[in-house]
Amino acid sequence: MTHPNLEAQLDAYLDGELAAADARALEAHIAQCPECARWRDDRVTLRAAIKSQIPVLRAPDVLRQRVRTQIRSGSRFRATVVWRSLALAASVAVVAFGGWQLGLQRGRGESLAAEVLTSHIRSLMPGHLTDVQSSDQHTVKPWFNGKLDYSPPVYDFAGQGFPLLGGRLDYVGGRPVAALVYGRRQHVINVVLWPRDRDPPASAPAAQTRQGYHVLRWVTPDYTYWAVSDLGLAELQDFERLLLQADSAAAPQPR
Amino acid sequence: MEFEAIVLPHLDAAYTLARYLTRNDADAQDIVQDASLRALKYFGGFRGTTDSDGRAWFLAIVRNTAYTWRNRTRGDALISEFNEELHSEEKTTHDPVAAVDLRQALDALPLEFREVIVLRELQGLSYKEIADVTGVPVGTVMSRLSRARKRLQEALT
Repeated sequence: MTHPNLEAQLDAYLDGELAAADARALEAHIAQCPECARWRDDRVTLRAAIKSQIPVLRAPDVLRQRVRTQIRSGSRFRATVVWRSLALAASVAVVAFGGWQLGLQRGRGESLAAEVLTSHIRSLMPGHLTDVQSSDQHTVKPWFNGKLDYSPPVYDFAGQGFPLLGGRLDYVGGRPVAALVYGRRQHVINVVLWPRDRDPPASAPAAQTRQGYHVLRWVTPDYTYWAVSDLGLAELQDFERLLLQADSAAAPQPR
Repeated sequence: MEFEAIVLPHLDAAYTLARYLTRNDADAQDIVQDASLRALKYFGGFRGTTDSDGRAWFLAIVRNTAYTWRNRTRGDALISEFNEELHSEEKTTHDPVAAVDLRQALDALPLEFREVIVLRELQGLSYKEIADVTGVPVGTVMSRLSRARKRLQEALT
Protein backbone atom coordinates (compact mmCIF):
# COMPACT_ATOMS: atom_id res chain seq x y z
CA MET A 1 0.00 0.00 0.00
CA THR A 2 1.74 3.11 -1.19
CA HIS A 3 -1.02 5.51 -0.23
CA PRO A 4 -0.97 5.39 3.55
CA ASN A 5 -2.95 8.60 3.70
CA LEU A 6 -5.65 6.79 1.80
CA GLU A 7 -5.87 3.78 4.09
CA ALA A 8 -8.28 5.28 6.57
CA GLN A 9 -10.35 6.63 3.69
CA LEU A 10 -10.45 3.25 2.04
CA ASP A 11 -11.53 1.69 5.32
CA ALA A 12 -14.21 4.30 5.72
CA TYR A 13 -15.29 3.58 2.17
CA LEU A 14 -15.62 -0.13 2.89
CA ASP A 15 -17.50 0.75 6.07
CA GLY A 16 -19.97 2.81 4.06
CA GLU A 17 -18.94 5.88 6.00
CA LEU A 18 -17.64 7.96 3.12
CA ALA A 19 -19.72 10.73 1.60
CA ALA A 20 -21.08 9.79 -1.82
CA ALA A 21 -18.82 12.19 -3.74
CA ASP A 22 -15.69 10.98 -1.94
CA ALA A 23 -16.74 7.39 -2.45
CA ARG A 24 -17.07 7.93 -6.21
CA ALA A 25 -13.65 9.55 -6.39
CA LEU A 26 -12.14 6.66 -4.46
CA GLU A 27 -13.82 4.07 -6.67
CA ALA A 28 -12.37 5.81 -9.69
CA HIS A 29 -8.92 5.66 -8.13
CA ILE A 30 -9.23 1.99 -7.20
CA ALA A 31 -10.30 1.14 -10.74
CA GLN A 32 -6.97 2.36 -12.09
CA CYS A 33 -4.70 1.44 -9.15
CA PRO A 34 -4.00 -2.31 -8.82
CA GLU A 35 -2.29 -1.75 -5.52
CA CYS A 36 -5.33 -0.15 -3.96
CA ALA A 37 -7.53 -2.82 -5.50
CA ARG A 38 -5.38 -5.53 -3.91
CA TRP A 39 -5.44 -3.65 -0.65
CA ARG A 40 -9.23 -3.53 -0.78
CA ASP A 41 -9.42 -7.26 -1.46
CA ASP A 42 -7.15 -7.93 1.52
CA ARG A 43 -9.42 -5.91 3.74
CA VAL A 44 -12.46 -7.81 2.53
CA THR A 45 -10.63 -11.03 3.39
CA LEU A 46 -9.76 -9.67 6.81
CA ARG A 47 -13.37 -8.85 7.52
CA ALA A 48 -14.46 -12.34 6.62
CA ALA A 49 -11.72 -13.75 8.85
CA ILE A 50 -12.83 -11.56 11.76
CA LYS A 51 -16.41 -12.63 11.27
CA SER A 52 -15.50 -16.30 11.34
CA GLN A 53 -12.79 -16.25 14.02
CA ILE A 54 -13.88 -13.64 16.52
CA PRO A 55 -17.27 -14.50 17.91
CA VAL A 56 -19.93 -12.22 19.31
CA LEU A 57 -20.35 -13.58 22.84
CA ARG A 58 -23.47 -14.40 24.75
CA ALA A 59 -23.93 -13.04 28.25
CA PRO A 60 -23.91 -15.94 30.74
CA ASP A 61 -27.32 -16.83 32.14
CA VAL A 62 -26.26 -16.05 35.70
CA LEU A 63 -25.36 -12.51 34.62
CA ARG A 64 -28.59 -12.09 32.69
CA GLN A 65 -30.50 -13.22 35.76
CA ARG A 66 -28.71 -10.79 38.03
CA VAL A 67 -29.27 -7.83 35.77
CA ARG A 68 -32.95 -8.76 35.45
CA THR A 69 -33.24 -8.88 39.21
CA GLN A 70 -31.51 -5.51 39.54
CA ILE A 71 -33.91 -3.98 37.07
CA ARG A 72 -36.95 -5.56 38.67
CA SER A 73 -35.99 -4.47 42.14
CA GLY A 74 -34.74 -1.06 41.07
CA SER A 75 -37.78 -0.24 39.00
CA ARG A 76 -40.64 1.77 40.39
CA PHE A 77 -43.01 -0.51 38.55
CA ARG A 78 -41.62 -3.56 40.19
CA ALA A 79 -43.96 -6.46 40.12
CA THR A 80 -44.32 -8.57 43.19
CA VAL A 81 -42.46 -11.72 42.48
CA VAL A 82 -43.69 -14.80 44.18
CA TRP A 83 -40.79 -16.89 45.27
CA ARG A 84 -40.92 -20.58 45.84
CA SER A 85 -41.48 -20.92 49.51
CA LEU A 86 -40.94 -24.28 51.03
CA ALA A 87 -40.58 -23.73 54.70
CA LEU A 88 -38.63 -26.43 56.42
CA ALA A 89 -35.78 -25.58 58.69
CA ALA A 90 -32.36 -25.26 57.20
CA SER A 91 -29.75 -22.73 57.85
CA VAL A 92 -28.22 -19.95 55.85
CA ALA A 93 -25.43 -17.91 57.27
CA VAL A 94 -24.80 -14.39 56.13
CA VAL A 95 -21.34 -13.15 56.84
CA ALA A 96 -20.78 -9.44 56.76
CA PHE A 97 -17.25 -8.22 56.44
CA GLY A 98 -16.28 -5.36 58.67
CA GLY A 99 -13.42 -2.94 58.78
CA TRP A 100 -12.33 -3.46 55.24
CA GLN A 101 -9.39 -1.49 53.94
CA LEU A 102 -8.59 -0.33 50.47
CA GLY A 103 -5.72 -1.88 48.67
CA LEU A 104 -6.72 -5.50 48.43
CA GLN A 105 -5.07 -6.78 45.35
CA ARG A 106 -6.55 -8.61 42.47
CA GLY A 107 -6.14 -12.29 43.09
CA ARG A 108 -7.29 -11.88 46.65
CA GLY A 109 -10.70 -12.78 45.33
CA GLU A 110 -9.53 -16.35 45.23
CA SER A 111 -8.13 -16.40 48.75
CA LEU A 112 -11.22 -14.57 50.01
CA ALA A 113 -13.42 -17.26 48.50
CA ALA A 114 -11.31 -19.83 50.31
CA GLU A 115 -11.57 -17.92 53.59
CA VAL A 116 -15.29 -17.49 53.27
CA LEU A 117 -15.61 -21.20 52.65
CA THR A 118 -13.44 -21.93 55.68
CA SER A 119 -15.63 -19.66 57.78
CA HIS A 120 -18.65 -21.53 56.50
CA ILE A 121 -17.23 -24.95 57.31
CA ARG A 122 -16.08 -23.82 60.76
CA SER A 123 -19.57 -22.49 61.45
CA LEU A 124 -20.95 -25.99 60.92
CA MET A 125 -18.88 -27.41 63.75
CA PRO A 126 -20.85 -27.93 66.96
CA GLY A 127 -21.40 -24.70 68.87
CA HIS A 128 -19.90 -22.46 66.21
CA LEU A 129 -22.91 -21.47 64.16
CA THR A 130 -24.18 -18.41 66.04
CA ASP A 131 -23.10 -16.00 68.77
CA VAL A 132 -26.53 -14.44 68.85
CA GLN A 133 -29.31 -16.92 68.24
CA SER A 134 -32.50 -15.23 67.14
CA SER A 135 -34.95 -15.24 64.29
CA ASP A 136 -35.66 -11.57 64.97
CA GLN A 137 -33.73 -9.22 62.67
CA HIS A 138 -34.23 -6.44 65.20
CA THR A 139 -32.33 -8.51 67.75
CA VAL A 140 -29.58 -9.67 65.43
CA LYS A 141 -28.78 -6.35 63.73
CA PRO A 142 -28.22 -4.31 66.96
CA TRP A 143 -26.09 -7.14 68.34
CA PHE A 144 -23.34 -6.04 65.95
CA ASN A 145 -23.26 -2.51 67.38
CA GLY A 146 -19.86 -1.82 68.84
CA LYS A 147 -18.45 -5.01 67.34
CA LEU A 148 -18.08 -3.69 63.79
CA ASP A 149 -17.74 -0.21 62.32
CA TYR A 150 -20.85 -0.62 60.19
CA SER A 151 -24.26 -2.17 60.57
CA PRO A 152 -24.87 -5.04 58.15
CA PRO A 153 -28.35 -5.36 56.67
CA VAL A 154 -30.27 -8.19 58.32
CA TYR A 155 -33.48 -9.64 56.91
CA ASP A 156 -35.82 -12.42 57.82
CA PHE A 157 -36.96 -14.50 54.87
CA ALA A 158 -38.95 -17.03 56.89
CA GLY A 159 -41.92 -16.38 54.61
CA GLN A 160 -39.82 -17.41 51.64
CA GLY A 161 -38.41 -20.48 53.36
CA PHE A 162 -35.11 -18.93 54.44
CA PRO A 163 -35.63 -18.20 58.15
CA LEU A 164 -33.10 -16.07 60.01
CA LEU A 165 -31.38 -18.18 62.66
CA GLY A 166 -28.92 -15.72 64.14
CA GLY A 167 -25.53 -14.11 63.69
CA ARG A 168 -21.95 -14.26 64.83
CA LEU A 169 -18.66 -12.46 64.62
CA ASP A 170 -16.02 -14.08 62.47
CA TYR A 171 -12.60 -13.20 61.17
CA VAL A 172 -12.00 -13.18 57.43
CA GLY A 173 -9.52 -11.33 55.27
CA GLY A 174 -7.60 -10.17 58.32
CA ARG A 175 -10.63 -8.32 59.68
CA PRO A 176 -13.47 -8.93 62.08
CA VAL A 177 -16.57 -9.85 60.14
CA ALA A 178 -20.22 -10.31 60.96
CA ALA A 179 -21.96 -13.55 60.11
CA LEU A 180 -25.73 -13.80 59.76
CA VAL A 181 -27.17 -17.28 59.85
CA TYR A 182 -30.24 -18.20 57.85
CA GLY A 183 -31.97 -21.53 57.37
CA ARG A 184 -33.07 -23.60 54.41
CA ARG A 185 -34.17 -27.12 55.34
CA GLN A 186 -31.08 -28.94 56.59
CA HIS A 187 -28.66 -26.81 54.59
CA VAL A 188 -26.37 -23.98 55.62
CA ILE A 189 -25.59 -21.03 53.37
CA ASN A 190 -22.95 -18.41 54.13
CA VAL A 191 -23.43 -15.02 52.50
CA VAL A 192 -20.56 -12.59 52.96
CA LEU A 193 -20.79 -8.85 52.48
CA TRP A 194 -18.72 -5.77 53.05
CA PRO A 195 -19.22 -2.10 52.23
CA ARG A 196 -18.59 -1.58 48.60
CA ASP A 197 -16.63 1.63 48.97
CA ARG A 198 -13.93 -0.48 50.60
CA ASP A 199 -14.17 -3.08 47.91
CA PRO A 200 -10.93 -4.23 46.36
CA PRO A 201 -10.88 -4.77 42.62
CA ALA A 202 -12.62 -8.09 42.43
CA SER A 203 -11.56 -10.97 40.33
CA ALA A 204 -13.51 -13.90 41.69
CA PRO A 205 -16.02 -15.64 39.43
CA ALA A 206 -19.70 -14.93 40.04
CA ALA A 207 -20.33 -18.57 40.81
CA GLN A 208 -17.90 -21.33 41.64
CA THR A 209 -17.88 -24.73 43.28
CA ARG A 210 -15.30 -25.55 45.94
CA GLN A 211 -15.09 -28.80 47.85
CA GLY A 212 -18.68 -29.51 46.98
CA TYR A 213 -19.94 -26.12 48.20
CA HIS A 214 -21.35 -23.43 45.94
CA VAL A 215 -19.78 -20.01 46.39
CA LEU A 216 -21.63 -17.04 44.90
CA ARG A 217 -20.43 -13.48 44.73
CA TRP A 218 -22.39 -10.37 43.72
CA VAL A 219 -22.46 -6.64 44.20
CA THR A 220 -25.16 -4.15 45.19
CA PRO A 221 -24.74 -0.37 45.31
CA ASP A 222 -23.69 -0.66 48.96
CA TYR A 223 -22.19 -4.09 49.52
CA THR A 224 -20.19 -6.86 47.99
CA TYR A 225 -21.71 -10.21 48.94
CA TRP A 226 -20.45 -13.74 49.15
CA ALA A 227 -22.76 -16.70 49.66
CA VAL A 228 -21.68 -20.25 50.47
CA SER A 229 -23.76 -23.37 50.83
CA ASP A 230 -24.15 -27.01 50.04
CA LEU A 231 -27.64 -26.07 48.94
CA GLY A 232 -28.45 -26.63 45.27
CA LEU A 233 -27.19 -23.84 43.04
CA ALA A 234 -30.67 -22.83 41.88
CA GLU A 235 -31.97 -22.43 45.43
CA LEU A 236 -28.88 -20.56 46.48
CA GLN A 237 -29.43 -18.19 43.57
CA ASP A 238 -33.05 -17.76 44.69
CA PHE A 239 -31.69 -16.65 48.03
CA GLU A 240 -29.30 -14.28 46.29
CA ARG A 241 -32.26 -12.72 44.48
CA LEU A 242 -34.11 -12.32 47.76
CA LEU A 243 -31.17 -10.44 49.24
CA LEU A 244 -30.75 -8.32 46.12
CA GLN A 245 -34.39 -7.36 46.20
CA ALA A 246 -34.43 -6.70 49.92
CA ASP A 247 -31.36 -4.50 49.62
CA SER A 248 -32.69 -2.45 46.77
CA ALA A 249 -36.05 -2.10 48.49
CA ALA A 250 -34.26 -0.83 51.59
CA ALA A 251 -32.00 1.54 49.67
CA PRO A 252 -33.06 5.18 49.51
CA GLN A 253 -34.35 6.04 46.04
CA PRO A 254 -33.27 7.57 43.85
CA ARG A 255 -29.74 6.85 44.82
CA MET B 1 -37.87 4.41 26.16
CA GLU B 2 -38.23 1.89 28.92
CA PHE B 3 -35.08 1.10 30.82
CA GLU B 4 -35.55 -2.63 30.25
CA ALA B 5 -35.69 -2.09 26.50
CA ILE B 6 -32.24 -0.53 26.59
CA VAL B 7 -30.30 -2.82 28.82
CA LEU B 8 -31.68 -6.32 28.38
CA PRO B 9 -31.58 -6.58 24.56
CA HIS B 10 -28.00 -5.31 24.58
CA LEU B 11 -26.66 -7.51 27.35
CA ASP B 12 -24.82 -9.73 24.87
CA ALA B 13 -23.25 -6.69 23.24
CA ALA B 14 -22.31 -5.34 26.66
CA TYR B 15 -20.79 -8.63 27.77
CA THR B 16 -18.96 -9.03 24.45
CA LEU B 17 -17.42 -5.58 24.78
CA ALA B 18 -16.48 -6.07 28.44
CA ARG B 19 -15.11 -9.52 27.79
CA TYR B 20 -12.84 -8.40 24.95
CA LEU B 21 -11.74 -5.35 26.91
CA THR B 22 -10.87 -7.33 30.04
CA ARG B 23 -10.07 -10.68 28.38
CA ASN B 24 -11.57 -12.25 31.48
CA ASP B 25 -15.02 -13.70 32.11
CA ALA B 26 -15.36 -12.89 35.82
CA ASP B 27 -14.29 -9.27 35.39
CA ALA B 28 -16.53 -8.89 32.36
CA GLN B 29 -19.53 -10.14 34.34
CA ASP B 30 -18.80 -7.82 37.26
CA ILE B 31 -18.36 -4.89 34.93
CA VAL B 32 -21.62 -5.50 33.09
CA GLN B 33 -23.48 -5.88 36.36
CA ASP B 34 -21.90 -2.73 37.70
CA ALA B 35 -22.65 -0.92 34.45
CA SER B 36 -26.30 -1.91 34.53
CA LEU B 37 -26.54 -0.53 38.07
CA ARG B 38 -25.01 2.73 36.87
CA ALA B 39 -27.31 2.76 33.86
CA LEU B 40 -30.29 2.37 36.17
CA LYS B 41 -29.00 5.22 38.26
CA TYR B 42 -28.36 7.58 35.35
CA PHE B 43 -31.29 6.58 33.20
CA GLY B 44 -33.01 9.86 33.99
CA GLY B 45 -30.33 11.60 31.95
CA PHE B 46 -30.79 9.45 28.87
CA ARG B 47 -32.24 11.48 25.99
CA GLY B 48 -32.14 8.95 23.17
CA THR B 49 -35.14 7.80 21.21
CA THR B 50 -34.03 4.82 19.15
CA ASP B 51 -32.80 1.33 19.86
CA SER B 52 -29.31 2.18 18.61
CA ASP B 53 -29.24 5.29 20.83
CA GLY B 54 -29.92 3.01 23.77
CA ARG B 55 -27.27 0.56 22.71
CA ALA B 56 -24.61 3.25 22.31
CA TRP B 57 -25.58 4.80 25.64
CA PHE B 58 -25.36 1.50 27.51
CA LEU B 59 -22.14 0.46 25.77
CA ALA B 60 -20.58 3.79 26.71
CA ILE B 61 -21.38 3.05 30.36
CA VAL B 62 -19.97 -0.46 30.06
CA ARG B 63 -16.83 0.90 28.45
CA ASN B 64 -16.36 3.60 31.09
CA THR B 65 -16.96 1.08 33.85
CA ALA B 66 -14.30 -1.19 32.36
CA TYR B 67 -11.81 1.68 32.24
CA THR B 68 -12.63 2.66 35.82
CA TRP B 69 -12.03 -0.90 36.97
CA ARG B 70 -8.79 -1.01 35.08
CA ASN B 71 -7.58 2.16 36.74
CA ARG B 72 -8.44 0.74 40.13
CA THR B 73 -6.36 -2.37 39.58
CA ARG B 74 -3.02 -0.63 39.68
CA GLY B 75 -0.04 -2.90 40.01
CA ASP B 76 -1.66 -5.92 38.52
CA ALA B 77 -1.74 -7.63 35.16
CA LEU B 78 -3.58 -4.79 33.48
CA ILE B 79 -0.67 -2.48 34.11
CA SER B 80 1.66 -4.80 32.34
CA GLU B 81 -0.75 -4.42 29.48
CA PHE B 82 -0.19 -0.68 29.60
CA ASN B 83 3.54 -1.22 29.30
CA GLU B 84 3.00 -3.63 26.52
CA GLU B 85 0.94 -1.01 24.77
CA LEU B 86 3.71 1.55 25.14
CA HIS B 87 6.06 -0.70 23.33
CA SER B 88 3.77 -2.29 20.86
CA GLU B 89 4.06 0.63 18.48
CA GLU B 90 7.66 -0.31 17.89
CA LYS B 91 6.89 -3.97 17.58
CA THR B 92 7.19 -4.36 13.83
CA THR B 93 8.91 -7.70 13.60
CA HIS B 94 6.61 -10.44 12.61
CA ASP B 95 7.36 -14.11 12.56
CA PRO B 96 5.75 -15.48 9.41
CA VAL B 97 6.22 -19.06 10.59
CA ALA B 98 4.09 -18.68 13.68
CA ALA B 99 0.46 -19.15 12.77
CA VAL B 100 -1.05 -16.30 14.73
CA ASP B 101 -4.66 -16.77 15.56
CA LEU B 102 -6.73 -13.69 14.83
CA ARG B 103 -8.33 -13.89 18.24
CA GLN B 104 -4.92 -13.76 19.90
CA ALA B 105 -3.97 -10.89 17.65
CA LEU B 106 -7.06 -9.00 18.80
CA ASP B 107 -6.25 -9.70 22.45
CA ALA B 108 -2.75 -8.34 21.88
CA LEU B 109 -4.00 -5.05 20.47
CA PRO B 110 -3.90 -1.93 22.63
CA LEU B 111 -7.19 -1.27 24.32
CA GLU B 112 -8.17 1.70 22.16
CA PHE B 113 -7.68 -0.41 19.03
CA ARG B 114 -9.42 -3.44 20.47
CA GLU B 115 -12.53 -1.52 21.41
CA VAL B 116 -13.04 0.04 17.97
CA ILE B 117 -12.70 -3.37 16.33
CA VAL B 118 -15.25 -4.91 18.69
CA LEU B 119 -17.67 -2.01 18.31
CA ARG B 120 -17.38 -1.90 14.53
CA GLU B 121 -16.74 -5.44 13.35
CA LEU B 122 -18.67 -7.39 15.97
CA GLN B 123 -21.42 -4.94 16.80
CA GLY B 124 -21.74 -2.90 13.65
CA LEU B 125 -21.79 0.54 15.23
CA SER B 126 -21.40 3.56 12.96
CA TYR B 127 -18.34 5.78 13.29
CA LYS B 128 -20.50 8.39 14.97
CA GLU B 129 -21.81 5.87 17.50
CA ILE B 130 -18.30 4.60 18.18
CA ALA B 131 -17.22 8.21 18.71
CA ASP B 132 -20.05 8.64 21.21
CA VAL B 133 -19.16 5.44 23.06
CA THR B 134 -15.42 6.08 23.23
CA GLY B 135 -15.57 9.85 23.64
CA VAL B 136 -13.17 10.67 20.80
CA PRO B 137 -13.80 12.54 17.52
CA VAL B 138 -15.06 10.66 14.48
CA GLY B 139 -11.76 11.29 12.69
CA THR B 140 -9.91 9.54 15.51
CA VAL B 141 -12.29 6.60 15.30
CA MET B 142 -11.58 6.39 11.60
CA SER B 143 -7.81 6.37 11.96
CA ARG B 144 -7.81 4.00 14.95
CA LEU B 145 -10.02 1.55 13.12
CA SER B 146 -7.73 1.62 10.10
CA ARG B 147 -4.60 1.14 12.20
CA ALA B 148 -6.22 -1.64 14.21
CA ARG B 149 -7.19 -3.47 11.04
CA LYS B 150 -3.71 -3.05 9.70
CA ARG B 151 -2.34 -4.78 12.80
CA LEU B 152 -4.81 -7.62 12.47
CA GLN B 153 -4.00 -7.92 8.80
CA GLU B 154 -0.33 -8.34 9.66
CA ALA B 155 -1.26 -11.16 11.99
CA LEU B 156 -3.12 -12.92 9.21
CA THR B 157 -0.29 -12.95 6.70
